[in-house]
Amino acid sequence: MTQHSTGTSITFDRATKTYPGAAAPALDALDLEVEAGELVCLVGPSGGGKTTALQLVNRLVDLTSGDIRIGDRSISDQSAIELRRTIGYAIQQSGLFPHYTVAHNIATVPTILGWDKERIRTRTAELLELVGLSPVETWLSRYPAQLSGGQQQRVGIARALAADPPVMLMDEPFGALDPITRVAVQDEFLAIHRAVGKTTLFVTHDIDEAIKMADRIAILKPGGKLAQFGTPSEVLSNPADDFVAEFLGSERGLKRLALTTVGEIVPGRSDRASAETAQWPDVEATMTLREALSVVSAARAEGAIVHKGGNRLGEVSLHDLIAPPVAVEDREGVRT
Amino acid sequence: MHVIFGAFPFMIDNVALLLTKTGDHLVISLIPLLAAIALGVPIGVWLGHAHRGEFLAVSVTNIGRALPSLALIAILIGFVGIGMLNAMIALFLLAFPPILSYAFQAVDSIDRDLTRAARGMGMSPGQVLLKVELPLGLPMIIAGIRTSAVLTVSSATIATIAGSGGLGDVILNQVAYGMEGVIAGAIWVAVLAILVDQAFALLLRVSAPAGVRQLQSANAM
Amino acid sequence: MSDFAPAGDPVIPDYGQASDCVINNGAFCTDWFISQWSTVFWPPVLSHIVMVAIAVSIGFVIAFFAGLLAYRKKWLAGPIGMAATFLYTLPPLALFQLLVPFTGLSLLTVEIALVCFTLVIIFQAVLVGLSGVPDDVRRAATGMGLDRNQLLLKVELPLALPSIISGVRIATVLTVSIATIAAFVIDDGLGSPIIKAVSSPFNTQFVGAGALAVLLAFALDGLLVLLGRGLTPWTKVRN
Repeated sequence: MTQHSTGTSITFDRATKTYPGAAAPALDALDLEVEAGELVCLVGPSGGGKTTALQLVNRLVDLTSGDIRIGDRSISDQSAIELRRTIGYAIQQSGLFPHYTVAHNIATVPTILGWDKERIRTRTAELLELVGLSPVETWLSRYPAQLSGGQQQRVGIARALAADPPVMLMDEPFGALDPITRVAVQDEFLAIHRAVGKTTLFVTHDIDEAIKMADRIAILKPGGKLAQFGTPSEVLSNPADDFVAEFLGSERGLKRLALTTVGEIVPGRSDRASAETAQWPDVEATMTLREALSVVSAARAEGAIVHKGGNRLGEVSLHDLIAPPVAVEDREGVRT
Repeated sequence: MHVIFGAFPFMIDNVALLLTKTGDHLVISLIPLLAAIALGVPIGVWLGHAHRGEFLAVSVTNIGRALPSLALIAILIGFVGIGMLNAMIALFLLAFPPILSYAFQAVDSIDRDLTRAARGMGMSPGQVLLKVELPLGLPMIIAGIRTSAVLTVSSATIATIAGSGGLGDVILNQVAYGMEGVIAGAIWVAVLAILVDQAFALLLRVSAPAGVRQLQSANAM
Repeated sequence: MSDFAPAGDPVIPDYGQASDCVINNGAFCTDWFISQWSTVFWPPVLSHIVMVAIAVSIGFVIAFFAGLLAYRKKWLAGPIGMAATFLYTLPPLALFQLLVPFTGLSLLTVEIALVCFTLVIIFQAVLVGLSGVPDDVRRAATGMGLDRNQLLLKVELPLALPSIISGVRIATVLTVSIATIAAFVIDDGLGSPIIKAVSSPFNTQFVGAGALAVLLAFALDGLLVLLGRGLTPWTKVRN
């Protein structure tokens, strides 16, 4: 990437939206501080106001009261149109223009902003590489109807990134993809996010997706109230109330295990008797504890042998997997 | 402007004439229309049910739309001669294409999931047709009939050049009836076309199942 | 051949030196058709095209803006649609005659009537096309910062084009057909040789002019199909 523009913070300041004719607000006095470069997932059941919260930011929906600031600037300080051109926006079904080629779709906002042709061309090629659509020439002149769902979604993300906005809004962007494509695009997007550092608000109804993607998760409950805001591990280990606990589901403990990879907890080669580990299955270091537990359980073993790229890293016992040391507790620590 | 107003006294003075001509007009337009319904609806529905013959239905529509009624009637003078039969054949040929193609589309375009679900529940093809496809397709079938009805009633006016009688006799005979008569005839035919159209619209409202009616009012602008 | 004709026996052109087909008033005499092409058929074809082109162009402009208006102000869609449908329901010949007292036996009368018949078709096509733009596309465009006019010009209208073009096609074909009736008002278009031939039932003239009207409708329709393909390249791509 040529640019590393870090993102800009997004601040919800008692942001409230009551739709005309509705008795109760869809979003009720939301206070939320999304730090620069952070990826925050908004989750919650239907009627929790998560999409409303997102659309308030780019003023597709107007605030009833309160304020939202991007950086230090209130969103109401500029025209909605100008504002939107500085915010990347990706939605479910991609929202690609069927009558534009891939290149034309990506160039939409840069063209409106008056970029010169050469700059647009360079930028388009760079973005297609970034989202994994290469060689670039293969894709430029295709129409959306000629792409698979996953490819459309990649182009949708490239289009949202086109004008290098400091802030990205994503409204269930992967909601329509099949599970396998979905995992692949999630991984790619995480990599992109780490590379470009855009502040990202990401709406999803899928808590597992939120746990996987988010630096922090904001859980909204019916009536548009914020139920809890914290890192995935905080949320999973200390649900703020019954609503959050129920929303996270009875497999909350297992979900926590999905936050950590085996490689992060493997203690190194031990002096266990080889007779003891002989029946243990092999797992890859990149597997989550949850996946490793599944492998161990299927093999009816007491632990697993951890490999990384063909090298044996060590062993983890069943006890290591279900009650991992430190790592899970502080996710920020894990990531660095 | 006085000519327009003059049309109304003409109507009052010539009620008998207009009623006779209206009778002829309805005979030469409704008989071909009913024949087109009797033939077009079953064929269209059957083709739609079988999801076959799209090419046939589409080409029949295109040719039908491109056929000028005047040319058709004129050409038929050459083959059938003068009189009501000529007019009725021509009007049948005009009425048939929209009825066939709407009936085809009505059944062909029903969501395949619905018919699959119906078959999955154990309905025979005949039951699928009678219980699912026909009720759901009814609004569009009737839309086709309405289109044809208006077309037939209004084209019957031109049939007068083939000596078929009807209100065209009044409209096209300014020498005998004066401009007042021409205008009166024109208004009369316009009202007749709209009445026939509305009669079929009413038929739809009465005959469509309640659920389909709800769908329609939901889709209405 | 009928034994009764509206205005006496068939009047056979050039009796005496004509071919057998012409003398027997056959269904279609190619030799006569070719020999009369430049005087009987070609001029009406041209004037027919002009009549249709004027009517469809004017009808398109009116219906297009009415469609845009109804799309922007939804409550107008009902009334405009009803007015246009009413005009469409009027029998063409009746409408021609109703206009004569006001605008006379003129091209103006013909064009007003023809325009009336194109309106409802093109209006509905524009409205259906614009309303058919997928919501996610519209939302994405708005969210990216396209203003109302950019949304209309760059996204909504292009996506409505297939529907609009099919509306124009139907309106054109229909107008070609109805324009034959204009011959009751003015001595122009392909209806005129047909009506003239009715009073002296000479088959080749009916059949020739009638067939030309049908061919003209298909030819214009074909041209519009080509135009549509050129304007909407994205509709024909497949994997």
